[in-house]
Amino acid sequence: MQFIRVNMSEQTVRVEDVSQDYVGLGGRGLTSIMINNEVPPTCDPLGPENKLIFAPGLLSGTSLVNTSRISIGAKSPLTGTIKESNAGGTVAAALGKLGITAIIVEGLAPQGKLFNLIIDQNGNAALQAADDFKGMRTYALVERLLQDHGEKNGVLCIGPAGEYQLASASIQTSDVDGRPCRAAGRGGLGAVMGAKGIKAIVISRQGKNPDAIADPESFKESAKVFAKAVKDHPFSGKMLGALGTAGLVSAVNSIGAFPSYNATKGVFEGWKKISGEVLAETIQKRGGQTTHMGCSQCIIRCSNVFVDEGGKYVTASLEYETIWSMGGMPGIDDLDVIARLDFLSDDIGLDTINTGVAIGVAMDAGYKEFGDGQAAIELMEEIAKGTEIGKVLGNGPAAVGKHFNHHRVPVVKGQSIAAYDPRGMQGNGVTYATSPMGADHTAGNLVGAYLAGVLNPLEAEGQVKASRKAQIAMASLDCTGLCMLAGAALAAPDVSEALLKMINAKLGTQLGADDIPALGIRVLKTELEFNRNAGFTNKDDRLAKFFYEEPLPPHNKVFTVTDEDLDSTFDFE
Amino acid sequence: MKIRVKLFGTLPQRYPDYDPSQGLEVGIPDGAKVKDLLARLEIFASDGGLVVIDNLVVQHDDSLKEGASVRIFQSAFGG
Repeated sequence: MQFIRVNMSEQTVRVEDVSQDYVGLGGRGLTSIMINNEVPPTCDPLGPENKLIFAPGLLSGTSLVNTSRISIGAKSPLTGTIKESNAGGTVAAALGKLGITAIIVEGLAPQGKLFNLIIDQNGNAALQAADDFKGMRTYALVERLLQDHGEKNGVLCIGPAGEYQLASASIQTSDVDGRPCRAAGRGGLGAVMGAKGIKAIVISRQGKNPDAIADPESFKESAKVFAKAVKDHPFSGKMLGALGTAGLVSAVNSIGAFPSYNATKGVFEGWKKISGEVLAETIQKRGGQTTHMGCSQCIIRCSNVFVDEGGKYVTASLEYETIWSMGGMPGIDDLDVIARLDFLSDDIGLDTINTGVAIGVAMDAGYKEFGDGQAAIELMEEIAKGTEIGKVLGNGPAAVGKHFNHHRVPVVKGQSIAAYDPRGMQGNGVTYATSPMGADHTAGNLVGAYLAGVLNPLEAEGQVKASRKAQIAMASLDCTGLCMLAGAALAAPDVSEALLKMINAKLGTQLGADDIPALGIRVLKTELEFNRNAGFTNKDDRLAKFFYEEPLPPHNKVFTVTDEDLDSTFDFE
Repeated sequence: MKIRVKLFGTLPQRYPDYDPSQGLEVGIPDGAKVKDLLARLEIFASDGGLVVIDNLVVQHDDSLKEGASVRIFQSAFGG
């Protein structure tokens, strides 16, 4: 249980024991509580007072399956709020196995200086000058870092977008094959890493010093129950392995909630060409991989490897949100183009969601034609080059809307919505509006309830309550390091009990079932407190105006949840 | 009556000659419900089958109408 504190102003690295205030916290709980304690809420997100925190989940580094999510937190340069963005890959498990509870990056490197942070198999950390790596894209960067330091390392890194400190810059993480195709995309945290002057963090995957588990036998027994449930569940055990999250393209179009052509239609005419079914068929025909292990200890295998007609690698982990943001929003119905845009996002270090939507807004404003895939690829290269229009696009849809004086900008607190239109899924609109993170589907996605037919997606009634419950559940889950896709199995009481037993077995605690949602509420309250102190009020918890005014075909609904109801979202009982 | 059914997810794999552009034409008794169609296709609760007609998720006790165009998916919780 150790923190690695890295001071970029002085280029010092200090290892310290986890203080009592933070014992028992992991993932989002740790990043958010630490930011609220240690970062001035009104600070410049790209200035020396902000801190960038990397925290594996409470269960990362244990033997439990699907615990490879790393939470990355800071004050966001995109939203101005507190931010936690989590990613899969290999680094969470690597840190857990080293017994490292968090890496905390403070201060700012001298202007123009760039460093890599290297953490070896004994947990020793050191900064190395990285001026030679300046401007590198992530694929070439990670290839070289793994050559220099060995293949048995995981990497967190930024591309040119992070170095430019663009508000859509991601932090990429390497998968089990050493490809930087996983991203903490949301909130522009790559810009914070760029501002700090860190190009990459290289972490040994050979650590053998994980935190001791208080009751190993109990942990092992419950871990088996959990793994079996993930395997047996029709979503995590069957569909995700076959189609990945792309399986949602057909379903969400079929209920008219797939925002297309910059959220002017709820069904994309070309969806059948970019569906999960066609994606799997295309990959199979070309000799790629329809199912693939992207993250350490994953048994779901929702990842894929997309290849071109000649069988050459294009991208990995092409998933639903990207197919939407780079497909439906700019009106592109060509999987080869979408796959290329996904690769470019990873390589340049950009959030696929914010960037695809930025391109969609630019097209809607008349800058390029909807559906022009070649133009979209060229715009990505503009971002990589750091041209004037590239910087506008790389700062996200709000910056694009401002630049072109265009009103239809689907953001909340500056961050783009995801692949569920709030007029076709009203509860996802509640989550977008009220989440302390800005519009973020992972904060409380209700698509499962809509598809199961237990909640009417088109009516206001019941949405706030459902969003509140989902946001609490996600805030809790994000503390554990568990993948949200494995979380589907938690609906069964014996599985949620197994999770509770594992947390108790790990920490040596006697937490009860109510303590899990209580942790989620604590995290949310902390985040809301930070945001209030940063100057946010209820008036910021609103969707973009056009969602209330422009009906979305085919249901021709607008967003109808009242402001008063939105403001009751966090009235915790 | 005849119902046109399109299958998604891994469901088409159960029908070796399934053509995604045509789907299946299924004959079922007049007045049949959604659950009758699922039973006829041997899609069980463990498959997570969910049914959409005219852009709306329908309940298993809802009645089907002649000529309905039905899409059947597997449960999904996010992406």
